[in-house]
Amino acid sequence: MIGAGGSPLRYLEFGDIVIYFSPYTLALFLLALVFTVLVIASKPERQLDIAFGADAFTTKDIGLSEMRFRRFMAIACGLASMGAMVTGDVFDFCLFTSLVGICNVGIVAAVKSRHVQGAAFQYGLVALAGTVPLFGGAAIVAATTGTLSLIELSSTLLPAVPLVVKGFLVLGVMGEGMAPFYAAKAEMFRAPGAPYVIMCSLSSLLIFLRVIEVVLQM
Amino acid sequence: MKKKTAFRLMVVVAVVSGLALVLARAGTIPEWLYLAVLVAGFPLFVVFLGLWWMAREGDADIPFMGY
Amino acid sequence: MIPYLLFATAFGLLLLGIHRKMIARIQRRPGPPVWQEILHALKFSFKSTWVPATASEVLFVSVVLIAIGIWTAAFFVLVTGGSLLIIFAIYMLHKIVEHGFGLSSGSPYGKFGGVRSVISAASEIPLFVSVSAVAIFTGSLQISDIIAYQAESGPLFFAIPLAALALYLVILSKFPSSPFAIVESKEIVSGYKTEHFGVWRAGLETCNGLKTYVLLLTFLSVFVGAIPFIGVLLAMILIVVSLAFVCALCPMLSPFDSVTIQTIITGIMLIYVLYLGAFG
Repeated sequence: MIGAGGSPLRYLEFGDIVIYFSPYTLALFLLALVFTVLVIASKPERQLDIAFGADAFTTKDIGLSEMRFRRFMAIACGLASMGAMVTGDVFDFCLFTSLVGICNVGIVAAVKSRHVQGAAFQYGLVALAGTVPLFGGAAIVAATTGTLSLIELSSTLLPAVPLVVKGFLVLGVMGEGMAPFYAAKAEMFRAPGAPYVIMCSLSSLLIFLRVIEVVLQM
Repeated sequence: MKKKTAFRLMVVVAVVSGLALVLARAGTIPEWLYLAVLVAGFPLFVVFLGLWWMAREGDADIPFMGY
Repeated sequence: MIPYLLFATAFGLLLLGIHRKMIARIQRRPGPPVWQEILHALKFSFKSTWVPATASEVLFVSVVLIAIGIWTAAFFVLVTGGSLLIIFAIYMLHKIVEHGFGLSSGSPYGKFGGVRSVISAASEIPLFVSVSAVAIFTGSLQISDIIAYQAESGPLFFAIPLAALALYLVILSKFPSSPFAIVESKEIVSGYKTEHFGVWRAGLETCNGLKTYVLLLTFLSVFVGAIPFIGVLLAMILIVVSLAFVCALCPMLSPFDSVTIQTIITGIMLIYVLYLGAFG
């Protein structure tokens, strides 16, 4: 289906890699941008915990060095998701998606909590496994059609992309953190530092939304 | 934020949105720009209106921790 | 557009009020007046307001703006006949906003609400299913094309009733006191909105009103097609009444059961769409 997210408004050419902004990808790009700006602008919150056996509470503070690292990772994650939103190249999309996976682990890996680190490790394994079908899908696209450009793929002149590619791409993106594979990720949200942690869930959602458009475009 | 500042900002947002409406009707700016102004303007308007109306600014307290 | 936007917000709040009143009457309580939610939105903007001491200030305030902003955008996309995918995207991103509401304050109750909203991400997939079923039938995802298709060959409601049911369930899961409303159930105080009070809550109420209007209008545009404006409003009230019966008669599910049932529904719907794609 051509122009599933509306017809492209603007093209940006980098050699043979053409970035395009359709209303859909533009909306997603803007959201990624807004949340990245939020990551840069906001300080982490201090989570409250009730102290057992007493009428008191404690706050979890995030140290400066930990905050710096996590903020860096969250910004990198935001940039990667922005790239994945607008790119017009299947391989680039896969690359950005796997980058999102790596950054997601980085965002929470600095937290000194056993549950969070365990979850980050498990999520890392699932995300690693997810990249295999992702890049496999991109490779089959290149092998069967001779191009990776989404704009060329949406034309009817090329041979049809095999259905298995679409399955592979969706499976790969789901591995990066969508519903059925989300279980490992839920524990990661125990981590304090709301602006950074939100980036984890936002980036996965955004790449899932984009892969729908990518798959419809092929 | 002071109530006066909130009121001024609210007026600014309202004027900009109204201006966008008039300019879009006249055909000076495209429809999408008008809608984009509203998407940014409506939430700001609602929040500034509330900040102007609200009773008073309380001292920041810790979150609700149960009864 | 400005008057229509304000009308949509107010009417959405009125629909939520009707929903509340209906639930109360079904349960033999007197219930609040139908305009209660509009009064709520006004009342909260007169209350004294601050940002909690432990909160991440910028995020705490920005999520309110983003919540209203994304639904304003969805409203415009819908009214101008844009892509259904964008509305789908905004619906899914509402999760992130809920997550942001919950996590930004540092309150444990808010955090539970936010985490629950992320766990119940499976509830969005039926929406994807109904989007793809619509795409299979009409060959386009532009809402204007979908409406034109229905003007020609009759409402999609009769052609793909299960896809309509999927969207109905998605709308149900977003309504207050529905069986799937685990994000704001009472054992976690008010869920993700526990710490957003005063002006922030007024903003959230505005968002809720607009969201209700947009979701119901999406349902009507995609499955019924073009009907006169008064008809749209009456149909919305009818849908809300039917939702109220479900909400009043079904208990709220536990988080685990809610996610399980939503996942099962998703599975059934995916099989339905595969069937449609292969034989439809």
